[in-house]
Amino acid sequence: MKRVIVEKKILERNTESAQRIREILKNKGIFSLNFMSSPGAGKTTIIEKTIEALKDEVRVSFIDGDLDTDRDAERVKRLGVDVVQINTSGACHLDADMVLKALNKVSLDCDLLIIENVGNLVCPATFDVGADRNVVILSVPEGDDKVKKYPVMFNVADVILINKIDLYGVLDFDRDKVLKEIREVKPKAEVFELSAKTGVGFDEWIEYVKDFIRQ
Amino acid sequence: MHEGAIAESIVDILKDTAKENKLNKITKVALKIGKMSGVMIDALLFALDALRNEESIIEDAKFEVVENDIKAHCFVCDKDFYFEELTDIVLVCPDCSMPLEIIEGKEMEIIEIEGE
Repeated sequence: MKRVIVEKKILERNTESAQRIREILKNKGIFSLNFMSSPGAGKTTIIEKTIEALKDEVRVSFIDGDLDTDRDAERVKRLGVDVVQINTSGACHLDADMVLKALNKVSLDCDLLIIENVGNLVCPATFDVGADRNVVILSVPEGDDKVKKYPVMFNVADVILINKIDLYGVLDFDRDKVLKEIREVKPKAEVFELSAKTGVGFDEWIEYVKDFIRQ
Repeated sequence: MHEGAIAESIVDILKDTAKENKLNKITKVALKIGKMSGVMIDALLFALDALRNEESIIEDAKFEVVENDIKAHCFVCDKDFYFEELTDIVLVCPDCSMPLEIIEGKEMEIIEIEGE
């Protein structure tokens, strides 16, 4: 019997690939956002509206992670953006190797790379995909209990978008509780309250993205 | 179930380690998993169990997991705070209201193995 001290990080390879992605994008002066949320929170709609608001000033490329379909990719393609689809064939998250491969296919002649992760509040939180900022969306219909139920996801967020706020007052959603719990789980996160449907609150979010690209 | 992907990464590292140390069989694996890592330990053990059939090197391996509590630090007050449950987590310093930094509890590591 032989005992071997290993002391290795299990996701070391993913971390290395994520670091490689950061280097490639930094060298090209590309800023990147990784969008995560549960299914139906509004990732694709927010991405569409963000691209529309930016497209006169900012060149955007898009990597779409999805289990099997290319429905979201097709929606974004209509906006004239270069799109690469990653089908994870059942995997519940994107990892850095998948994104690294997609970087060979997507146009890097851009200022902003948007990555749409697979929709769920658990698995994508564990895998760094090399983006500059993690954007986590929480939508009002999902309920006001999600931050404490999925603290790992909200803790990896740099930016939290509360979407569908046109439903404040229509649905039971304790806004103060959610803002308090966000502060408990990720005090440093930037929080924007908006509605991709009505456009309310969008200007602040777009200004944030523009400021970030200008940095 | 992202624990499946994590189990595969573990087995990849185990295979490399076994090769480097000329082991034909791994009998014991000690893992450290932080409570803030986003890994469900039962799901991870289930996934590792499922891989036994495909990877003969871990066929009889016993997986032992040490779960690490969450430790957060206030760099203003120079104090540590511990959280045993994820739901208890409050990363704001009770004394100065500044954000706490998590310094332990996110780890996912293979500590040591035994084999022959």
